[in-house]
Amino acid sequence: MDNELTSLITIFTEFYYWVTVVFMFLIHVGFCMYEVGASRYKNHTHTLMKNTMLIPLVTITFYFFGWWIYFAFVNGPWISGPLVDAPWATPWSELMGTHMGGAPVQDTLTGDDTAFWARINGVFWAAFLLFSWTAASIVSGAVIERIRPSAFWILAIVIGSFTWIIDAAWGWSWNGWMVEDLGYHDAYASGVIHAIAGGFALGVLLVLGPRIGKFRKDGTPRNINPHNPWLVTIGLFLIYTGFWGFYVACNIPMIDVYGAAMLDVEGKSFFSATNIYLQPTTLSAITFNFLMSLSGGLMVAYMVSDGDAFWTYSGGLAGVIGASSGNDLYHPIQAMLIGGGGAFLAYKMHYWVENKFKIDDAVGAVAVHGYAGFYGVCMAGFMLWGYPSSPFEGYAPITPWGNFIGAVIMFFVLGFVPAWIVSKILNGMGMLRIPREIEMVGLDINHESLRAMEADEVAKAVREEARAGS
Amino acid sequence: MATGPVDNWLNIDTFGAIYPFVGTEMMLTIAGFAFWLIWHFKQIRKENEEFAKDIENIKKQGGPGAVLDDEARREIEDQVGQ
Repeated sequence: MDNELTSLITIFTEFYYWVTVVFMFLIHVGFCMYEVGASRYKNHTHTLMKNTMLIPLVTITFYFFGWWIYFAFVNGPWISGPLVDAPWATPWSELMGTHMGGAPVQDTLTGDDTAFWARINGVFWAAFLLFSWTAASIVSGAVIERIRPSAFWILAIVIGSFTWIIDAAWGWSWNGWMVEDLGYHDAYASGVIHAIAGGFALGVLLVLGPRIGKFRKDGTPRNINPHNPWLVTIGLFLIYTGFWGFYVACNIPMIDVYGAAMLDVEGKSFFSATNIYLQPTTLSAITFNFLMSLSGGLMVAYMVSDGDAFWTYSGGLAGVIGASSGNDLYHPIQAMLIGGGGAFLAYKMHYWVENKFKIDDAVGAVAVHGYAGFYGVCMAGFMLWGYPSSPFEGYAPITPWGNFIGAVIMFFVLGFVPAWIVSKILNGMGMLRIPREIEMVGLDINHESLRAMEADEVAKAVREEARAGS
Repeated sequence: MATGPVDNWLNIDTFGAIYPFVGTEMMLTIAGFAFWLIWHFKQIRKENEEFAKDIENIKKQGGPGAVLDDEARREIEDQVGQ
């Protein structure tokens, strides 16, 4: 970089994504607190470790193959075209390390590749990676207290480094086949993160089964309440906070929209933030809509749940998720009303599915992320009907049926089905669920026995000291 | 002896990759994959051993019912400050 303007734009973009990563880290802190608050005392350590260890496992596998999939799978492959070369994203690429942007050593890369990707590759990779953690972490909450950690970590890699990033390549990329052929629009990831993660969780839950004691003999459910609702509350607040990073990470901060889309508008430039499809939007727009959809969700959830804290907070989340697909373009009051609908649907669907199908979703993840995400994608199809899905020529416009097919692909094809298949395989190998007697006494029995023994020993020593002193 | 392509910062505008041992990326990838897969195998083995030990402990204490009764007793003791 040899001039101030180029360096300013480049380093601003680099810094922008870096900041989003820091914010999104809070989503994971929130999920950890939320799960520990929702689980019972006897399972705390394992619950925390289950969620924590998905961080390194998804990170390294996203480095090994997830990032490459995002660029290579935009055509399916073989749905609308072949695999696409992405030499900057393979784990053996020199651009997947410290690079100053000069001439490449590897002959698969060009000077343009190194100049463009040297400063953006790591932060862009990390922003996508934090979405991967989120997708896996959504599943984590639903399956607490009975899944084997080893099985969960395999499933976390399947969604975090494989299926979600395929959906991002297809429907959350400027040149994905779903955008081009279906007019799929999902600016802030109602479908590409939330619906897929909800569908994935449902697929696992169906094979995993409910926690012991969840259902009475007559099939009616018992409530297994969070042991610490205040920790759950703080966790959800942190997830809200992290969502700010999530939203802005879905944007490109500054780009010439005409130039990026190679539009034939000679002599004109229009610099703007854009969504991932390179369509212009503003931080102001998404700030309006994030807060209004959160508010709509909170208000409806409070009413429908009779002021239940857990569901009010979850409803706020469902509100944002329900409006996220179109929050780049909605009017704020539309976002509020759509968000309210997402919260209503999530609450009602959770209890209906629990009663009807005996599904034990410990934290309501399938409802808050899956059903609200599915609804959000469908709503955007109606609300943005006829809008262009891309600034590029020849792309299908946004339609209700295009987004409905997209929602089905997210929830079922890339969410539910792979989860059900992998869970069936793990279950067949006896690797999915923890042994029954351990589930009854708690996963932390060894830790707790040791702590109890140590506490007894200390108490005994104190008594002896007291006797000797008196 | 030099592990990397940098011996001064005079021509930084021409620098590309500057990590040590440029050219070993494929070997690093293979090592990274091996580290990842070995971790899973070892962790699964460790988890099986841990569960077997837990089940043995539960049996020794008279089964899940007895363990839960004992936990309930401890909770009461904690509450009354013993």
